[in-house]
Amino acid sequence: MSNCGQFRELTEAYALGVLDAEERTAFEAHLATGCKDCAQAVEEARWLVNQLAYLAPNAAPSDMLKARLMQSVRAEARAAQGSVEPKASIPFWMWAGVAALLVLTVYSAWDARRLQKEIQTVNQRAAAEFKQREQLQQELAAAKRQAHILTDANSRKFAMWPHDTQMPKLEAMWHPELGICVMGEKVPMPASNHALQLWLIPKAPGSKPTPSLTFWPDAEGKLVLMVENPPDVMADTKALAITEEPTGGSAQPTSTLMWVGGIS
Amino acid sequence: MFLAVLTPKDSGEVSPDAMLVHQLLQRDVDAFEQLYDRHSRIVYALVLRIVQQASTAEEVVQDVFLQLWRNARRYDARRGPFVPWLMAVARNRALDHLRLKSERQRRREDQSEELPPVFDSPQFEKALDEKRRAERVRAVMSSLNPQQKKAIELAYFEGLSHTEIAETLKEPLGTIKSWIRNGLLRLKEGLRATT
Repeated sequence: MSNCGQFRELTEAYALGVLDAEERTAFEAHLATGCKDCAQAVEEARWLVNQLAYLAPNAAPSDMLKARLMQSVRAEARAAQGSVEPKASIPFWMWAGVAALLVLTVYSAWDARRLQKEIQTVNQRAAAEFKQREQLQQELAAAKRQAHILTDANSRKFAMWPHDTQMPKLEAMWHPELGICVMGEKVPMPASNHALQLWLIPKAPGSKPTPSLTFWPDAEGKLVLMVENPPDVMADTKALAITEEPTGGSAQPTSTLMWVGGIS
Repeated sequence: MFLAVLTPKDSGEVSPDAMLVHQLLQRDVDAFEQLYDRHSRIVYALVLRIVQQASTAEEVVQDVFLQLWRNARRYDARRGPFVPWLMAVARNRALDHLRLKSERQRRREDQSEELPPVFDSPQFEKALDEKRRAERVRAVMSSLNPQQKKAIELAYFEGLSHTEIAETLKEPLGTIKSWIRNGLLRLKEGLRATT
């Protein structure tokens, strides 16, 4: 207490924080002795110093500051709450919703696959029908062409005589624009891996036969051959001939002429 | 125990601020918002006066209130009222910022993370509202010699020491010490007379 008077004069300056280091250290050493009077004086001085804050001109922080601050505080409160409290259980209706969604998803996947298969089947059927239709159209066109060749006055008709008298005679019609049609009955089937091949024999002396299509009679021996674009013109052709050649045909006849028909 | 923590010394009443601070211990966000709404203006005004820049002031005020949210237990209502403690926290923060900014690490360097003690109000202090209190403080301080007022403001708002103020104002050290002490005593008498 004997030193209190000396320190009491420093009370306000200490509370204000203006004491230099040496004075402050000495003052705090005195407070550390437990001097209650000085401690109370310091408290009062701190309150007094604090009143100086009201000298500051009035001002208000922006709303943004409060928003930022509240956002931080709420986040920290949620984090603290989340670490202490167990997570809220998922309500029944939500489970029911999840289950319904799952069933719907499985059904949708199954239905999609079913529809995909149906679409695939329909596509295949459509492709087959389209192909069949094309074939029928081709056959129809061929039949029309054939009928035209057989009936048109511009067509030249001639017989193709067999080399073997046991073989049937064939009939041929050549239309200068529509092509050649060769027909016959009871035509024997060529040997295995062989086919019949049509040849055009040119008028020019020393010319080699011009190869045309290879073909087969049907199972009953009926033969209908259509050559839409003959390799040579009628005026330059002396005769038609047929030989038996390996499947795929030959560049020149490799066997005896089985049928020959001269174009008169 | 609960009442003991909340009840200010020599008073049977529990202040609203003490109650709100106690709620902060329960992580009550609404209580925090109420405290902010009640005191953010005066805290901001003080900090702005010290740091002199609005964006920096908001940064410091944010620090102050976050510190309050995170360290509410550091305020002991039995030892004194809340507002003076909060203002002391804000002033310290703002001055720390000022010193760090100017790289003048001086005598309070080692106290930057500390919170000031809670201190009681004098017996004569009654509950003046903020507006009347501000008017009274300004009136008393306006009655001082301008240099004397300047010395106190340099100490409070800029954190200068006796010696630094003497150098700044180019006055003898003894004069500065005398101006500051006498000025504060006049303020004390002025406030006592008001109440």
